[in-house]
Order: sequence, then C-alpha cells, then structure tokens
Amino acid sequence: MTAPGTIAGSRAALPPAQAPGRRKVLLVGTLFVIAAGTVLIGALLAGYFSARDMVQAAGEPWPPEEVLLPNVPLFMGYLTLLMSSFTAQWAVSAITGRDRRQMYVAIGLTLLLGLAFVNALSFSWSQLGVAAESSRFATTMFAVTVTHLLVVIAAHLGFVVMGFRALGGQFSPDNREFVVSAAAFWHFSVAAGLVVWYCIWFLEGGP
Amino acid sequence: MTMTETRPEPPGTDSAAVVPPVAPPPPAGLAGWLTTYDHKVIGRLFVVTSLLFLVVGGGAGAVLGVERIDSGLQVLGEGTFAQVYTLHGEVAVLLFLVPFFLGLATYLVPLQVGAAGIAFPRGSATAYWAYLVSGLTLFGAYAADGGIDGGSAVGTDLYLLSLAMLALATSLALVSILTTAVALRAPGMSMVRTPLFTWSMVVGGGLTLLATPVLLGRLIELYILNHFGGDVAAVGAFGQIAWFWSLPQVYVLAVPAMGVALEIVPVLSRARLRRHVSGIAVIGFSGILGFGAWAQVESTFDDTLYVLAGLVAVLPALALLGLLGDSVRRGGFARKAPLLLALGAAVHLFLGALAGGISVIPGLELGGTVWAAAQVHYTLYGGATLAAFAALWYWSPKLWGVHLSDGAGTAVFLLTFWGAVLLAAPDLLNGLSDQTLMATDLDEEGLATILNGASAAGGAFGVLGVLVAVTATLGAAAGRGTRALADPWEANTLEWATTSPPPPHNFDGTVLAVTSAAPLADEREHARGPAPSQETR
Repeated sequence: MTAPGTIAGSRAALPPAQAPGRRKVLLVGTLFVIAAGTVLIGALLAGYFSARDMVQAAGEPWPPEEVLLPNVPLFMGYLTLLMSSFTAQWAVSAITGRDRRQMYVAIGLTLLLGLAFVNALSFSWSQLGVAAESSRFATTMFAVTVTHLLVVIAAHLGFVVMGFRALGGQFSPDNREFVVSAAAFWHFSVAAGLVVWYCIWFLEGGP
Repeated sequence: MTMTETRPEPPGTDSAAVVPPVAPPPPAGLAGWLTTYDHKVIGRLFVVTSLLFLVVGGGAGAVLGVERIDSGLQVLGEGTFAQVYTLHGEVAVLLFLVPFFLGLATYLVPLQVGAAGIAFPRGSATAYWAYLVSGLTLFGAYAADGGIDGGSAVGTDLYLLSLAMLALATSLALVSILTTAVALRAPGMSMVRTPLFTWSMVVGGGLTLLATPVLLGRLIELYILNHFGGDVAAVGAFGQIAWFWSLPQVYVLAVPAMGVALEIVPVLSRARLRRHVSGIAVIGFSGILGFGAWAQVESTFDDTLYVLAGLVAVLPALALLGLLGDSVRRGGFARKAPLLLALGAAVHLFLGALAGGISVIPGLELGGTVWAAAQVHYTLYGGATLAAFAALWYWSPKLWGVHLSDGAGTAVFLLTFWGAVLLAAPDLLNGLSDQTLMATDLDEEGLATILNGASAAGGAFGVLGVLVAVTATLGAAAGRGTRALADPWEANTLEWATTSPPPPHNFDGTVLAVTSAAPLADEREHARGPAPSQETR
C-alpha cells in the first residue's frame, strides 16, 4: 500500500522525465470557447432557416413585405467589423516585434472599429422598424443578431483587459498568450459576423 | 514510472501558462466557500448541491409515479401535472446528473492528470455559483407559475433565463475541465494513457460542450418569443428542450458513467484491463453514437441512419459489460459497495441501450410511448445515477478523507438497482400496449394499473436509495466515517498518489512522469520485483 502523500522513491536513479512542451492553457481554453460559440451561432442560424422554411411553405413572404432592410449601413457595419480583424492581428504582430507603441494603437483601433460596428447594427435595427414579436422573421433575426452582438461585446471585454494589462507593462514576445487568445476570439466574432451577414442580410436582399 | 524532483522548464516558457494558480488556504466556513477557487472545494460543492437537487427531482418523479397508477388525476391538478413532469426531467438531468459529473470531474481530473490545479479555477467557481443561482431560480420560476406550461409570462421568462444560465454554467465548467485534461497532463501521459474517467469526461464533456450551445440557442429564441408576447407552447417548446435527455443524447450523458465503471471494477477486482485502449475505444465509440441528438426532428425517426445508430448503440454497452466481466473473471469478485454499484450501473446501461435499440425498430411504433421513459430511466437512473453513487463510494477517501459505510453502499445498491428495474420494466410492457408519455387516462385500467403501481413502487425504492446515499454523503462531508489512507484500494491512477484528501497544491513536491496507463500499479510491480506484467497500453 502506498504511504500517504508519497510515491515510492526508488526510481530516483532512472533518467529524469522529459520536460513538457510549452502548454498554452489560455489558448486551449479559448479554442474550446470558440468551438462552443460556433455551435451556438450555428444553432441560431439553423433555427432561423427552419422558421423561414415553415413560413415560406405556408405561402407567406420572408421577410414580411413591410420590412425594408437598411442594406448600406448593414454592409458598412459588417465591413467595419471585418477591418477590425486586421487591426486585432496587428496587435499580435506588434508585441511579437516588441513594438509596444504600435500595440497600443492596434488595440485602440480594434476597439474603435468594434464600437463602430455596434453603432451601425443598433442603427440598422432602428431602421428596420420591426418589433421582436411581430413575426417569426423578427424573432429569429433578433435571436441571431443580438447573440452575435453579445459575442462582439465579449471580444471587446477581452481587448479592454488586454489594453489595461499592456499599459501596465505586461506582455512580451515570450509572454503573449493572452494577446493571441484575445485576438483569436476577436477573429471568431468577426467570422461569425460575416456568416450572420451573409445568411440573414445578404440572402434576404442585400446589396 | 519515472520521477524527478523538479521539472526543468524549457527556455522561454511562460511559467504562468504552465502551472495554474495554486489556491491559498481558504478562510473557514461560509466565507471559505464563497471565495474559494480551490478546484477540490468547488468540486465538492457541485457534488453535494447536485445530490440535494436529486432529492427534489426524485421526489417529483415519485409523485408522478403515484399519479399514473389510476386513470385520471388524484393528487395533482391538470396544469400542475404537466409542470411537475417537466420539472422532474429538468431537475434530474440539468440540476443533478450533469452537475454531479461536472463536480466530480472538477475535483478529480486535475488529480488524475497530475496537475497542481484546474486550468481556470475562477471559471469553475463562477460556474458553480451560476449553477446554484440558476437552479434556485428555476424553482422560483415554477413557483411563479412559469415553466413551459405555466400561465405567467414573467414566470416563463424567468424559467427560460434560469435554463440559459444553467447552460452557460455547464459550458464554463466544461471548458475548465477539458482544458485541464488537454493541456495540463503530467509528462508522459499521452491522451491514450489518460485515466478512463478523465477520458470519459473528455469525450462526454466535449460532446456536451458542443450540444449545450444548441440548447442555449433554442432558449434564446424561446425567450425572445415569450418575452415579447408569443406563445412558446405553440412552437413545441418542451420538445426543443427535452431532446437534451432523449435518445440518442442520453448516451452522451451516460459516457462519464462508463468511465466510472471502467475505473472502479478493474481496481476492486484486482485485474487491470487487458488493454487500456479498449476502454478508450468503448467510451469514444459510445460518445460518437450519442452525438447529434439536436439534429433530429420527428421525420428522422424513420431514417436508416437513426435506426442503425440506435441498434449499433447496444455494442459499446455490451463491450463495456465484456471488459468489466473479463476483469472480474480474472481477478475475482470482492463484495465491496463500489464494485456492486459500478457493475449494477453497467448492467443498467446495457439494458438502456437494448431498450433504445428495440425502440428504433421500424414497425414497433414505440416513439412517444412510455417505452421511451423506461429507456431513459434505465440509462440515466439505473445506469448513470448508480454510477454516480459508485463514484461517491469509491472516491470518498479523496473527496472527504473518509470511507463511506459499506453497508449503506450495499443498501443503496439494492434499493437503486432493483428500484430502477421495477421502475422501468413495467413501462416497457405499457409502452408495447401504447400507453403514451404524460398519459393520465388509461384505456385498459386493469393491467395498466397493476404495472403503473409496480413502476411507482420502483420509484419509491429509488427515492429511498437516494435518501440513503445523500445521508451517507452528507455524513462523510461532515467528517464522519473511517479515516482513509492515501491509496486504500491499491488503485492505478495518480489521484491516489497523494494524501486523502489532497493538500491545496494536490501533490507534495514530486512531479510524475507517466509511462503507462496505470502508473501506480507500475510502481507497485516495480517495488515487488520482476513479474509478468499485463498489457495496459
């Protein structure tokens, strides 16, 4: 029977254990979150298309005829979101190259572009002029776009924390896992946004 | 197994990313619970809370059983019956079964992989408190006439929000567990060498992480619909939630139960699996077959793939029985409570898979009948819950530092095993005579009444078993029981290489290098000298 708290100590003469490789705990966790987020957005889109099939099978228009999609602000909003993906990756490149000033600029620009997207989406919702309960289109559309907005806001939180930690002197080329993870989640929020834009706004009569 | 005193860090390694923060000694009492981020305390909180919820869920099930005996409603009103019916399923699965295994894994996975802590301790703590608050909110929502069949829109909002918070808490806890299993394993512990409970959490937890967001998506849509005045019952809301504990998702929920049985039986029968990888394969195969329940709609029930998957699902359950039976045959049967409970769980998992396999046979038309309830009860109550009790009795030395009473464990086995048989078997017969789920009016009162009475008696036995298990566990949590040694079972995996219960940093001063799936067994064999070693790789 093994004594409490010990493992038999007779193996000391054997060769030492091989050192483990670098383990990116935060990045692995972020990838799991991204996997779950991908399924979430996929499930909501599946619900949207399922509702669309049922409504169209009943001979009703989708979206309802009174709905006028504000295509220009929507397109500009999602284009802005796409641009933010480049600035997010710029932050990673900057810290890899030890350029802290560029990193600050990249973080600031990313947050700015993200906020511009939030503003554009809010404006587009107001232009749609539909209430959530008014039709199946409105219910499912709001379910998808509000959830995506929450994902974008979560990505903002990651970048805000990263900004403060960067200002506090943290991160270096050898210690940039948080930056890489936050950027990965940001890219996910952008990719999800593009899929949402294509499936909902573009397919329903975009530019 | 090889050991070194310190693990050399490769150049440029960010040590903060390698070793998770080690929890400081927590303050005593309630403050300690509220502020802790020691994965062991969080795991214990999950386990005890889920057991308390099980008492409520089991009680609700017993009331439903009594209500079903005769035609018409005797105890509950029409609306209340539907509410209790949905509450029973939600509590049993979402507030007991899933959180129990989350708690067990939060406690055990870091120990089994040789880590000093869990990957995201604050995430796990947040998940626990979100689980507790959402569980209590769920009861509040039902009390406010919420729920799927509730009359209060505000109550239904609250109900949907509580389930959504539960889904988020589950996902958060899973991310922490999975990251620990993937990124914090001891040197030499490849994924194929991971302990089978940890592997079952990687498979079952990974698939649940991919299924829970689907449930969350449905809940978001239902919430928006309900909040703005829509009728959630009209869009089949309960069906959009209940798939989470229906065929084939039940097999995913039962995967950790397979891991528990495959950990316990070889240790207590003193015969390691002939090949560790066979346990890995059985668990993996079972998980694959259970994935995709969310994709099914009624029209898929006749699809060849659905029928084939249902029939093939019997195979991993049969293989599980074969592996465990082989261990017992080679090692011998020791009448210990964890062994009885684990073997009982495996038998019920097989019966559940068999019932599921029969239910998909075209022409029998068993969908929508109480046959489905029997299948779920065999799998989740007789199988997974019995495995949960087996885990409590087996890992009690690690969880609480004391042994649970073997006599109480045997009583729990008898009550739960035979209770589950009595609960589910009559429903198989009633299912064949087309008694539908949630039916309160019976066509053939004579036989159906007798069978429903037998089923209700089985439920009552089950509730008694739950009460004995919960009482024994609460006693152990309070420190009552025989003090346990570090490795009282002469087990194989790393959680037994430390004290019972472990110190805050899990392991004292040694870093373990693993060269097989059973490092402690290797240690013992090495200490005893050369002997024919059984294959474990």
